[in-house]
Amino acid sequence: MTPPFRRVLVANRGEIALRIIRACHDMGMEAVAVYSDADARARHVSEADASIRLGPSPAAESYLRGDLLVRAALDSGAQAVHPGYGFLSERATFAAAVRDAGLVFVGPSPEVIAAIGDKLAARRLARQVGVPHVPGTLEPAGTTTASEVDGVIEAAAIVGYPLLVKAAAGGGGRGMRRVAGPGELVAALAAGSREAEAAFGDGAVYLEREIRPARHVEVQLLGDAFGRVVALGERDCSIQRRHQKLIEEAPAPGLSTDERRLLHGMAVRLGAAAGLSNAATCEFLRDRDGAFWFLEVNARLQVEHPVTELVTGVDLVAEQFRLAAGMSLSERVREAAEHAAQPGAHAIEVRISAEDPARDFAPAPGTITAWSMPSGPGVRVDTAAGAGDRVPPDYDPLIAKLIVYAEDRPAAIARLRRALGEVEIGGIQTTVPFHRAMMEEPAYVEATGLATTWVDDGWDGSRHRARAVRLASIAAGLAAIDEAGLGRAQSGAQAASGSPVPADHGWRATGRADALDRWPR
Amino acid sequence: MSRRPAAPASDAAVAAGSLPVVDDRAVRVTVAVVGGGGVDPPVVVAPATASQGTSGDPLVDGAPVAAVLVHADDRHAVLVHDGDHGANRTHVLFGPVRRDGPDGVQLREVVVHGWLVEVEIQSARRAALRDRARRGANVAGHGGPVEIRAIIPGRVVAVSVAAGDSVAAGQQVLVVEAMKMQNELRAPREGTVVRIGVAIGDTIDVGDLLVIIN
Repeated sequence: MTPPFRRVLVANRGEIALRIIRACHDMGMEAVAVYSDADARARHVSEADASIRLGPSPAAESYLRGDLLVRAALDSGAQAVHPGYGFLSERATFAAAVRDAGLVFVGPSPEVIAAIGDKLAARRLARQVGVPHVPGTLEPAGTTTASEVDGVIEAAAIVGYPLLVKAAAGGGGRGMRRVAGPGELVAALAAGSREAEAAFGDGAVYLEREIRPARHVEVQLLGDAFGRVVALGERDCSIQRRHQKLIEEAPAPGLSTDERRLLHGMAVRLGAAAGLSNAATCEFLRDRDGAFWFLEVNARLQVEHPVTELVTGVDLVAEQFRLAAGMSLSERVREAAEHAAQPGAHAIEVRISAEDPARDFAPAPGTITAWSMPSGPGVRVDTAAGAGDRVPPDYDPLIAKLIVYAEDRPAAIARLRRALGEVEIGGIQTTVPFHRAMMEEPAYVEATGLATTWVDDGWDGSRHRARAVRLASIAAGLAAIDEAGLGRAQSGAQAASGSPVPADHGWRATGRADALDRWPR
Repeated sequence: MSRRPAAPASDAAVAAGSLPVVDDRAVRVTVAVVGGGGVDPPVVVAPATASQGTSGDPLVDGAPVAAVLVHADDRHAVLVHDGDHGANRTHVLFGPVRRDGPDGVQLREVVVHGWLVEVEIQSARRAALRDRARRGANVAGHGGPVEIRAIIPGRVVAVSVAAGDSVAAGQQVLVVEAMKMQNELRAPREGTVVRIGVAIGDTIDVGDLLVIIN
């Protein structure tokens, strides 16, 4: 089959840039990478067919420079630009600039991006097509005149407390404020608006009822140029902290076939009404009674797209390229959509970031000194990192995604335990211990505690770390004693010679068998 | 990297003579404290003594612990130790020994369960002597001022205390913006702010002195 494009400019970095380059190469297309100074030796650059330097390390001087990206695409002879996620992927002006330059933007049209990116417009659209949205206001909260403020206070009383002040132009929890009672409302509006202005250039905020506890459930949509929109299944991303996702899975646990059909149907209705083409994700909250409430639509490929790929067998990035070239939804996609309500597999992704789970996930940049990622049946790793890499503080701390899939959720969890056990990362603290702990956490394993508040309320990193510290200290002490030749040295060679434990060692016979076998005789 | 003297409990025990005479072969492992985190108590590990007969278990803080370290190579090892249901195998990833100075203190990184732990290893006897000397020089019960240094580059967006303020453990001292997030720096323990080394708007680099608390 002829590739949809000959050459593509990948307007991103890190693992997603590498992901897009891989899709290009799978399809016989050339990929052009872009890089800032911090990424000059990055793997996404070395894997591409050509690369173009954008500028100094700060994103504002490189990956956020739409003008430089368009210039790079034109200079390199690319026909299409894939924006990845984050950066300019949801900036309608960038999509328009790409189109105006005579290039193809791999994503929804600038008009749809603008329409969907306005969260209030999306909520109003949901109301129009009968999709229940999270209760709240549908217009920006006026904060300039006294009568406007009175209006907001009245509206807030109808929404009910506690409520959330949210940014109309953004996401990721920025610009968001929780308001427990009317006394805090005005201050929250001001603070939220300031933060939204700083983060997104638009200080418009609105009010939403707080749904708590809630599960975050989202639907993967694909649309073609002929107006057809399908749902490829849903994902549950409830394990997050401060609105940053940590663990995602597909399908969402505990939904019936009918519930899935209902959820997918609502998402498709909304996508079709928005005129969606290419890929987007429709996010919902599921309250404790099981009802779904529309939250927002993200008009781009999401970080967690691999779990949908592994359950459906669809390469979403490849589909994005086909759809961008004007083709209709492929046969494979249509079949997957038909079976989306009865998925036959389960996939889980954990985000490995340079963050310290014992210090409230504070960023932990540094240099990676050791790096070994798992593999084997049902294991996929999306990463551009490797030993010797410096994790720069200029960008998002996500350095790898570890994804597993299996026939059902318990098997996927067992596989993820196995895969996490194989992970070796030295030189920086990562979120790996959090994921290891979650795979033993009953609330996660039995899917009884899935809620967006679980981590913020229930994760005690220091306690988990304390146990590891004790074991690490003992191991370090024993290693030092061995090295100084002060104790009984245990080496691999001795272990290979038959018994890892010398015959005159103090362990009782059963203890020795325990050391050899996982289950004592 | 700010460092703390050993936790008072083991010092007192050694001083009071309630622990057995520190074995010449014992090593003390202290977790190096970075950027004002929590306090991890140091651990003293000694090889099995002849008086234990055939027990052969190493001593951890004076008590026998059923544990053996099996090396695969100089970086990979498995700590086999007693658990609730038989033996546990914990994989250990060692970094290279990074400092092996004339003071006999080794510094290396150990990764267990994905937790990266920086440890200082030294002869327990020498560590005890050093503690006693340091305690003699200190008047304050806390053991000296704590320097909080930057562990990530960024920009100071808020300073919540001033020189002379009393702070409680965990109280917010600074807010630094880095990696798209606002990071709150908190006092590692109670004390008095001696000096603030930065002002709002300052760009900071790793290692920059931020606050001194006494």
